[in-house]
Amino acid sequence: MRSNQMQVSLGTLEKWKKWLHIYEVVLFLFVVIVNLAPFIWGLLTSLKPVREVLSYPPKLFGSQVSTEHYEEVFRGTFFTGFRNSLIYSAIAIAVGLLFAMMAAYAMSRFRFRGKKLFFILILSGIPLSIGSAAMVVPNYTFFSSLGLTNQWYTLPIIYVAYNLPMAIWVIMGGLESVPVQIDEAAKIDGAGNWRILFGLVVPLSLPSLASAALFIFLGAWNEYVVSSVLVSSASLYPIQVSIYNYMGFYGIQWGPLCAAATTAVVPTLAVFAILGRMLISGLTAGAVKD
Amino acid sequence: MKRRDKMFPYLLLAPSALVILFVLIAPLLYSVYCSLYQCTYMRFTKFVGLDNFIKVLTNMDYLKAFGRTFYISAVSLVIALVLGVLFALWINKYSGITAYAIQLLVLIPWVTSQVVGTLLWKWIFSEDLGVLNYLIKQLGMAPLKVLSDPNTAVWVLIFVMTWRIIGYAMVQILAGLKSIPKSIEEAALIDGAGKWQLLRYVRLPMIKTPLLISTIILTLSNINNLTVPLSLTGGGPGTATNVITISIYRLGFESYQFGTSSALSIVLFLVTLVLSIGYVKAVKYEV
Repeated sequence: MRSNQMQVSLGTLEKWKKWLHIYEVVLFLFVVIVNLAPFIWGLLTSLKPVREVLSYPPKLFGSQVSTEHYEEVFRGTFFTGFRNSLIYSAIAIAVGLLFAMMAAYAMSRFRFRGKKLFFILILSGIPLSIGSAAMVVPNYTFFSSLGLTNQWYTLPIIYVAYNLPMAIWVIMGGLESVPVQIDEAAKIDGAGNWRILFGLVVPLSLPSLASAALFIFLGAWNEYVVSSVLVSSASLYPIQVSIYNYMGFYGIQWGPLCAAATTAVVPTLAVFAILGRMLISGLTAGAVKD
Repeated sequence: MKRRDKMFPYLLLAPSALVILFVLIAPLLYSVYCSLYQCTYMRFTKFVGLDNFIKVLTNMDYLKAFGRTFYISAVSLVIALVLGVLFALWINKYSGITAYAIQLLVLIPWVTSQVVGTLLWKWIFSEDLGVLNYLIKQLGMAPLKVLSDPNTAVWVLIFVMTWRIIGYAMVQILAGLKSIPKSIEEAALIDGAGKWQLLRYVRLPMIKTPLLISTIILTLSNINNLTVPLSLTGGGPGTATNVITISIYRLGFESYQFGTSSALSIVLFLVTLVLSIGYVKAVKYEV
């Protein structure tokens, strides 16, 4: 009698477990769809022939796979924006990493007056550069009063500054695991300060440098608002502005827009897929301390 | 030699300090200066003291815009935190590649361009050609006036803003959950704690910091968000989704009133600064 009951309850438990599993799969699919819906629909739209983008009812796939929209955007202003943003990001990463590495090294290895003040400046700069709408008008008025708008270096300067705090913070975290003894030993052997930094510490900090580079890249590649007011020549537009411009005066050109948007997301997803773990640990540094 | 050693850290900091000073601090100070002048088209004509501040802070349009901003940001934050906690509790059961894959997946909206994400949602929401209304019609319901009805437009804006930030909240909270020592959870379970008690008395108190940091960062990010409302609705229909960042943008770059738009930017910056100070206090660090 007793064992019978047990069996029944075990049976329902098994059933329940199975149901739980299905419910979890459904939940998982739901999360996938909601998170990726715009990108998937954008990709599908971008591959339809021009005539079929605006046809109704909307179909999942066009009558054939067509690259017309991609050819169009790469012949047009989007290509300029894509190329410009590659250059801007590369400059921002190179300069940003150099400056951030130096600052992080100073913060983690030396004691000096004003250290705490600078640290608080860095820390408060992290959230400030995440949301920059309060900076749009100040950056525009200040830069234009000095005649620094609409130059090839305008946006790289902005991107470096916005992303420096996060980069310094990430590299500081990485330096914690580079033993100070290495510096000290080299010092005793007579190595100069700069040599220790660039010859010894930098090669040991490559993972955190990669993580910082990722943050700078994402910040530079994705920035829209400040970029859109600080440069006004089409030849200097970054990628996000060139995408936004498909919302033209005469209505939105959905086909080219989807092709441009899809193209713009590919590099982001590629680096994110490779360096995702670093991004997550960079994001959560400070929230948990082990 | 000794002297050079003393100067070394300052030399290391100098480039970063100069860039931050030049791009983040000086412009804000210059904006304080601008906000004290009457100004059109970047010509600062007359010193008006605090008049610009009084003008914008007694103007009902801007006060309403601030109200809308806080409302939209708060609703979006609460939804993101609740769903973030639920997702994190769910994923916490898994480890290894499954947990990692789900984290990457939900972070995609946070790491990709806001222009791209928003405009592609706008395409799905398009009233006559969009896939959303098509599906709604297939279900036999009346098509939605997605972005042309003021009430729906607000919720659509909240939806897109929340969609973007949930992943951030989830990843922070999950990191908090993972940092709880297994022994503590097991001890609670052995002492007879139920699932709810475990959550209420063990887990929630231990993820206070990630919750606080998510709250600060996401509030800040939502309040300061211009890209999403600008690309999704442009503040419309009417003024339904006209958040304060849209007001600043239009005042500056459509009406060229840089005195008043500087004043409004300073007000927004002060709100942001308060949140930043909260962040500095919340973050765990050692100098």
